[in-house]
Amino acid sequence: MSEEQTLAVEVSAIERLTPLIKHFTLAPVGGGSMPAFSGGSHIVVVMRGGARVHRNPYSLLSSPLELDAYHIGVRRMEESRGGSHFMHDQVTVGTRLEIAHPVNLFALDKIARKHVLIAGGIGITPFLAQLEDLHQGRAPYELHYCVRSPEHAAFLPRLREREGERVHVYYDSEGQAIDFERLLSGQPLGTHVYVCGPAGMIDRVTAMAQSWGWPDSHIHWEQFSAPPVGDAFDVYLARSKMHVHVPPDQSLMESIEAAGVEVPYLCRGGVCGFCQTRVLELDGEIVHNDHYLSEADRGKFMMPCVSRARCKSLVLDL
Amino acid sequence: MLVTGIKSKPVYAPLRADPRGRYHLMLGLGAGEVALLRVLREMQAAALDGLARTRVLLIPAPAAGDAGTAEAWREIEGLPLQEVRAFSDVAALLGEFKSLLEDSLMGTRLYVAGPESFIGLAMKIALEFNLNKDEIRAEELGSLARRVYCIHCRTTAENVRTNIVRCPGCERWLLVRDHYSRRLAAYMGVMADAEAPGELPAIKDVFV
Repeated sequence: MSEEQTLAVEVSAIERLTPLIKHFTLAPVGGGSMPAFSGGSHIVVVMRGGARVHRNPYSLLSSPLELDAYHIGVRRMEESRGGSHFMHDQVTVGTRLEIAHPVNLFALDKIARKHVLIAGGIGITPFLAQLEDLHQGRAPYELHYCVRSPEHAAFLPRLREREGERVHVYYDSEGQAIDFERLLSGQPLGTHVYVCGPAGMIDRVTAMAQSWGWPDSHIHWEQFSAPPVGDAFDVYLARSKMHVHVPPDQSLMESIEAAGVEVPYLCRGGVCGFCQTRVLELDGEIVHNDHYLSEADRGKFMMPCVSRARCKSLVLDL
Repeated sequence: MLVTGIKSKPVYAPLRADPRGRYHLMLGLGAGEVALLRVLREMQAAALDGLARTRVLLIPAPAAGDAGTAEAWREIEGLPLQEVRAFSDVAALLGEFKSLLEDSLMGTRLYVAGPESFIGLAMKIALEFNLNKDEIRAEELGSLARRVYCIHCRTTAENVRTNIVRCPGCERWLLVRDHYSRRLAAYMGVMADAEAPGELPAIKDVFV
């Protein structure tokens, strides 16, 4: 994504919601309103603070009807590669940031007869905007929200006030857990399930829904995870005629971007398919970490946002 | 001609059991029961326990005016299904189908076998329940007669076998296109002689 396509925003408010989660309000520089979006959309925040540029995706959590500012929730990751620590420690009210335009890879099915939303921890954020959309519609819906303990339950007062009985909260600290089988085995025809949370939760929901006969078109999930770390490797970009070194804790995409070559992206999480890149030569193996490429395509392509290589040499069509 | 290579023209395939389905709902009209029997035998042979969670609604061949497939109906009746019911007309069958969908759960697969007009009407109802492509399978058997929707007056003509048909609503001569609407369960009919009134191509039986 080129620099011209980013939006300039200024942090107009920061609120600490839990020991780990901060809520940032991003207002357009120079006033006006932000571009419209739909519930489930995310933006990518470009962080130019330290030695490296970070680009992290965050779900928009405010009502799609309110465009005077965007709102995101950022959880401080223990094993941060820098992005969430930058947001928590260096960003203050008044900080200017660049963001990429909103993209929705986690949209509600508009003609579903019922919606079942399942959130784990910070995974609540896309649902906050979706609930605003669901509020306008007629289809019934329910939210199941798992958190570590009451002090970690971000946005709960707002959810209880807006959604009342439709919110079901489960505290790990009190031994509460969602009974996925009970939840997914008795839903009426035309129900869609949406899950956002840790990988284990997404896997359990998907597997349980499938075992009860849910087709994939009714199962929706989103996860923003840091790109996996791995061995360092070197890559040659054939079209740019450039050698790039990829260190263990930086993704291939980030390394290419740091070298000044732009790679198209939307999700930076191995899902959207936008950054699909042709592998021209390879002596070694690609470590595919994406959820996008088919087995057949894995011989010819890779997704630089999350995938790496263990190789002597790698030439990409970039 | 206006009518070739249109993407909305439905494509059907021989029915196969979907082992990922938890519940199975099958609709058949006339010769369609032969296809349903084939799927049910496939489920039985694979020792899937799905038969006990399978409902079959059909209009047996003699009632549908097809000869020679009454055997299939008798065999279906003998299988250990959750439910099998025979109907004498399409409206009654579809009414029961709709009320079954009201109470059906996620994990249900729909199988429809019969003439295209029957498949279309069943799919139109299934669509209202947000069943997606991956939950519906259909096999076309029997007459190719079409339901044709007049784009001028919105009347639907049933059982159209000819390339050109007179609209029962506005009496325009309509050219029957391959352009199909799943929502209306009908092919689009467009005025055939709008440019040169009275000049029509030869009228032929093409959907038989």
